[in-house]
Order: sequence, then structure tokens, then C-alpha cells
Amino acid sequence: MQSLKKIRVVVSILFFLPLTFLFLDVGAVVPPLVSNILVSVQIVPSLTRTFKLLTLTSLGLLIVFLLTVGFGRVYCSSLCPLGTLQDVVIRIAQRNRKRGWFRYKKAPFLLHYSLLAVSAVAFVGGSMMLLNLLEPFSSYGRILSTLAHPAVVLVNNGVALVFECFGVYSVPTLSVRFVNAGAFLFPLIFLGVVVYLSYNYGRLFCNSLCPAGALLGLLSRVSLFKIVIDEETCTQCRLCEKVCKARCIEADTKRLDFSACVSCFNCIDVCPSVGLRYEAGWKKKAALRVEVNRGRRIFINAAIASAVTVALPRIPPNDTLATRCPTFDESRRNPVVPPGAVSVEHFSSYCTACHLCISVCPTQVLYPSFLEYGIAGVFQPKMDYNTSYCNYDCNLCTEICPSGAILPVDVPAKKLIQIGKASFVKEDCIVITKKKDCGACAEHCPTKAVKMVPYENKLMLPELNNDICVGCGACEHSCPTTPRKAIYIVANSVHLEAKKPPVQKLEEAVEKSKEFPF
Amino acid sequence: MDRRTFFKKSIGASILAGSYLALGSKERLFASMTQPRTALPFDLVAIRGGEPEEMFRKGIEALGGIKAFVKKGQKVVIKPNMGWDVPPERGGNTNPKLMVEIVKQCLGAGAKEVYVFDHTCDDWRRCYRNSGIESAVKEAGAKVAPAHTEGYYHDVTIPAGEVLKKAKEHELVLESDVFFNVPILKDHESARLTAALKNLMGDVWDRRFWHANDLHQCIADFATFRKPTLNIVDAYYVMKRNGPRGVSVEDVVTMKAQLISADMVAVDTASAKLFGIDPTEIPHIQMAADQKVGRMDLEKLNIKRITI
Repeated sequence: MQSLKKIRVVVSILFFLPLTFLFLDVGAVVPPLVSNILVSVQIVPSLTRTFKLLTLTSLGLLIVFLLTVGFGRVYCSSLCPLGTLQDVVIRIAQRNRKRGWFRYKKAPFLLHYSLLAVSAVAFVGGSMMLLNLLEPFSSYGRILSTLAHPAVVLVNNGVALVFECFGVYSVPTLSVRFVNAGAFLFPLIFLGVVVYLSYNYGRLFCNSLCPAGALLGLLSRVSLFKIVIDEETCTQCRLCEKVCKARCIEADTKRLDFSACVSCFNCIDVCPSVGLRYEAGWKKKAALRVEVNRGRRIFINAAIASAVTVALPRIPPNDTLATRCPTFDESRRNPVVPPGAVSVEHFSSYCTACHLCISVCPTQVLYPSFLEYGIAGVFQPKMDYNTSYCNYDCNLCTEICPSGAILPVDVPAKKLIQIGKASFVKEDCIVITKKKDCGACAEHCPTKAVKMVPYENKLMLPELNNDICVGCGACEHSCPTTPRKAIYIVANSVHLEAKKPPVQKLEEAVEKSKEFPF
Repeated sequence: MDRRTFFKKSIGASILAGSYLALGSKERLFASMTQPRTALPFDLVAIRGGEPEEMFRKGIEALGGIKAFVKKGQKVVIKPNMGWDVPPERGGNTNPKLMVEIVKQCLGAGAKEVYVFDHTCDDWRRCYRNSGIESAVKEAGAKVAPAHTEGYYHDVTIPAGEVLKKAKEHELVLESDVFFNVPILKDHESARLTAALKNLMGDVWDRRFWHANDLHQCIADFATFRKPTLNIVDAYYVMKRNGPRGVSVEDVVTMKAQLISADMVAVDTASAKLFGIDPTEIPHIQMAADQKVGRMDLEKLNIKRITI
């Protein structure tokens, strides 16, 4: 029994470190499959994904549910990266304080289950706001991609610089991803709150705000194996209560609320008299007493709150152009969602904003939004063609997305998904304004949806064929006009199918001539 | 104090500054490269009908062998075109076989180190990998250097530039003893044709300025700044339309040709003719000729033609 804690610590490290690495994998060394397997046990994204499609990742979800039903909230103790982060803080807190002990405190069930109910109803209603704000895996992902990534870049570039001085170029420099203030500040504040709570109140976050914790708390009520206090051998020394970071053990009454227990096994580890046992529920009935009417109250409250959340504003899909000034139209502001996201609505209803796609995107075209999808889709990524463009032959984000927001598509299929259409404002184009050749847009276009056609004075002017445009943004990104791009992508709020670029055979595929024309 | 010493001295501070941004606007701290060169036996060597490596062997031999260009202990930089995330048969990037042969010959001639880089258009890792160049030249003994952030580039002024008066050039080119410009011949929607002159655009950081301010003139201006030791134009697979990226292999013709010259204008003029387009129709070639970068009058040049 004493080894349970050791097992827990080892397992949590085995998940925590690789998961952390996933978000900071600047060398892009982790294959998508490994990432998928690792992330499949993260229940919120795995759950939303399972709503969309049953794949192997759903197996991860099943495993976590079975584990919970069998052994309690082992997800919270070992698999959740935010949980392990809190454990690190708790450990530091215990070292720093003489009085580093916990006391029993009834978990705020009302708040916790209300939040779960609201999140669930909101999710069904298409709003990801609460999940995005509170879901532990995604929150941890955002902390890493927003706060830790710049630090990694800094260290990497320092090393790269030293190497460079000796003519060694094996460590390439990296660029910092700049994000807007909202998308930067929230993870910072969130991290502050989680650190504060865990430093002072142990795993309070997991038992008050975390939707995954609430869901698993419900499941763990029926767990097969539970930690129970043996009334006879317990000497009420209170050691277990003091080390219980979920603060769910009340030594005075010899009670343990297993629904709030995060299965850290600290209590068993510390108990000197074998007064705590981890045993199958049928051996001892009703180790915990549940308050009877709580459920109903919670759900009534929740239903009201849900209605409010669902009613919160979302961006109405709008593909039409509403002209404000001659060369600027409002459609430029509509967010473009990555290939595989199906539609803005689909993407926004499934994305938990974990920012894993942002972390792996090789071109860094994916960018954390703040309120561009409305408050319901806060922090969800969008394509930012100012920074970069979507690489035509890459489908990494579709392979990596754990939440079902970006569905898997293979490269040939991806090349036919039209996520937006190019729009060309002739009046802003270099060829018109400066009467000089440019052609950056056509040069970068992978399908030749933008082609250069003869214009006056032997100049060449871009011409669009949006049938074959995929909306990758290469034209917009490369367009040199300022302050407005002369060519830009208008989002397809529902993705369409692009036609295949026409292929004509050349008259002569192999030149037989061996003459020199000079 | 050359750049390296400067770096070593300021390394502590630089690590703190860390980010590539800190390196952005560093002044050039060393003199421009000058290459003492004896007259070559030919102004231009044109080869047809062989494999890329074979054509290069014949061509360089005609110019007196690689040792006429690469001396023992020198630092060689080879700048291919590997700007696009396409495989070799698409003709979007310089042929890896040619690259390997050049690397091997340089190392064989006693080069201290051989570097390969390009400022790519598509994602640089994918370009390096999928062009087939990175793995091939590494195996041959070259070092592949990144060129995707501004920190690798340093300010240079272009005295003879009409529009482009300053640019940021990749530090490896600045530090090189020998610089080989190895473009692939392609159709190009912006520049009409891409070969030696246009390929040097991959040495600089801010290409948007070029596009925004008379692309052709900027190409010609930059050519006044640096004369590569040799320009080796790969015309094995030639993209005849939809350049510079191409849409499919159907855009490509197998031409099996190669052009080598120290004169960028001459080699581009010949390239245009090989491609089947009138060189005078390509503004940047004409402009570069006007700025005395090189000569367009191929009929007056000493050309060696080799058929395999």
C-alpha cells in the first residue's frame, strides 16, 4: 500500500514531462501519433473529440473513465499536467512553511458542479467559453505556449548565438510568437491564481473550478476501489488530514470524501497505524455520506446560468463584403480557421484552445485569438497571414488536434479544402500604384489561383481564379503593400471544396535537342 | 576586430539579449570580399546531355578545374535555390545531385568548410528537407545553415544601387572566401525568369522591399554589390510555366543542360535563350548589363560548348 504514492509520482512525471515537451517541441521531433496517444487521456479534449468522431483517442477517454470507476480520480493525480504543476507548487509550499499542513475543508460542491453543468450545457449549445477558461489541459497548454515558449526561444537563441560564433549552425534560431495582450495576460493571471490557490489551499482548483475534476468527482462516487478509514485501527493522529492536499479527510469524524479525493495516496503513505485502506467498495458499505438534495439544487442553478452563457454573443458568420473605405472591407477581420476545421462554427464549438496546433505549426501561421470568435470562443487559434501562411503540403495541425475542432485530413484532401478566397484590390497593387513589376502574390501561390497577366507597358498584373484558391494566405503574406495588403483572404465561414489546379501536358516533356541557342 | 572576435567579446551580453532581435541591426564589421582572380579560359561554359554531376565535372574541368577557384583552407559558401517545399523532380529547387558534386569537389580541393543555405519562401525546414538538398549535401560533408531569421543577416550598403541602396545579407556570404551561386533555371511570374541574378535575392533578408520598389531594378542593383566566384545554372529539370513554385511535374521539361560562368549577366542571357525567351524581354538582365555587372553580347564572348 505504501508504494501507491511512489507509483503515482512516477506516473505523473511520465506524463508531465512529455506533455510539457509537446508544447515546447521547437525542433518538431515528436511524431503526431505519439502526441495523439499522450494527449488522448486528457479528458476534456478527448471528450469533445469523441462527440465528433470515434477514433483511437476515444480509447484514452474510455481508459480514464474506467480507471476512475475502478480506482478514483487517478487522472487528477497522475495524468493531468495542471495537477502535477500544482503538486510541484504544493511541495514547495510545504518546504517553505513550518505550518505547511492542510486541514479538512468541505469542497465547494455547489460551485463546482454548477460550473460543470454550465460548461456541459454551454458545450451542447456551442459555447466553449467556460471550458476554455477552466479546462486544465488546455490551460496548461496555453501557459506553456504563451509564457514558457518565449523563455525556451531565449535560451535556444543564446545557445545558437554561441554556436554561430564558432561557425556551427546546427542550432537554428527561433522567433518569438507575438500574441495580443488578452491572449498573453489571461494565461499569466490564470497561472497566478492556480499557484496562489495550490500554495495556500492545495488542490482547491481541482475541487472548485476544474470541469474535469467535477466530472471525475461524480464518477468517483461509484468507484470500485476507495480510500476508507478503518474506524478500529485509526488512532486519530491526524497525519492523513495534514497531508491531504485535496483537503477531503476529516480526522475528527473519521470521514473521507472520496469524490473530492485526487488519489494522491499521501494519506496512505503517511499513516502509521494502517488506519487507511485502499480497498474495494463492497467490503465496506457507504464510507461516505452524500448530501441528498444537493444535486437538484445544483442543476436548477446551472440551467439558469447555462442559458446565460449560451446566449453570450458569438460572431455571426459573414462572408459578404461590407465596404468601409474604398480599399478596406470589414470581411478582412473575419477569422480564417485552419483546414479540417469544417466551419467557423464547428471549429469554435469544439476547440478547447489548448494551443497544441499553435505549438506545432511549422510556419507559425496559427495565432491565439482573444475575442475574434466572440467570447464563446475565447483564445481559440486563427490563421494570421501577417505572420506567415499555411504551407500547402503540410497537414500537421489536422493530425495533432486533440479536441476534434480540426479534423484529420490527409495532404491530398487538405489541398482541396478552401478555407477562404483571395480578394484583390487593384487600386492598392504595386503594379498600379508604382507602375512597376511585383508579382509576389503569384510567385507564392501554390495553385496559381493568382496568375500574372499582361498589363500595360509590358507590366504584369495579378488575376484571380478563386475556383482553385485554397485560401492559404501565401499571396496576402507576401504582398508588400502597406498599410493594407492589396490581396488578402476572405474567410469561408463554411469551408468549401477547391477545384484541382488544371494540369496540361507540355508539348515536349524531354528536350531532345542538344543544340545551343547561342 | 572582425565579426567573430566581436561576437566572442560580447557573448555575455548577447546571451542576455538572447533573442535574434538583438542581432538585427548589427553593422558590418569587416571589409568586403575581394577575390583575386586570374583570367578564365572561357567566359561561359555550356554543357548539354549529361547528368547534373557529370555536366559539372566536364564544365569545371574546362574552366581549369575546381582548384582554380577553391584554395586549401578556404571557406566556401554555396547558395542553391531551395526556396520551395517541392521534391527535386518538380524543378523548383536546385538539383541535389549537382549540389553534392560541387560540395565534394570543394572539399576535395581542400576547402576548410563548405556551407549551404537559402532564405526560403515556404517553411524553411520543409524546404531544406523536401528539396533533398539538406540530407544530400550533409552526407557529402557540407554544413547546412539556417537563414530564416533576421539575426543571420547584416547590413550592407550598395554604392552602385539605384533603388536598392542597402540590404541585409546573410553573414555566411559576408564571411566566405569563395561564393558559388547555384540557381535552377525556371519560369518566374514576378521576375519573368529566374537564374543567377534572381537567385541572389535569397541572400538577403527583406525581399518585400524589392517587390514594393521595382523588383527588376533591385535585382540588378544587388548584382552590382557582389560578384559570385562562379554562377552554375542548373537546367536539368526546367520549369517552363507556373514558376517559381510550379503546380505539378507537368510544368517541367527535362532539358539536361548546365551553364557555368563568372559573369551573371552572360549566364542569365544564355539561360534565357536556352529557356526560349528573348533576354532583352527580361528587364533585370538588361538593367544589370546597363550597370556593367556583365555582358549580354554572347556573340563576342568566348564560349565553350560541351555535348555529352
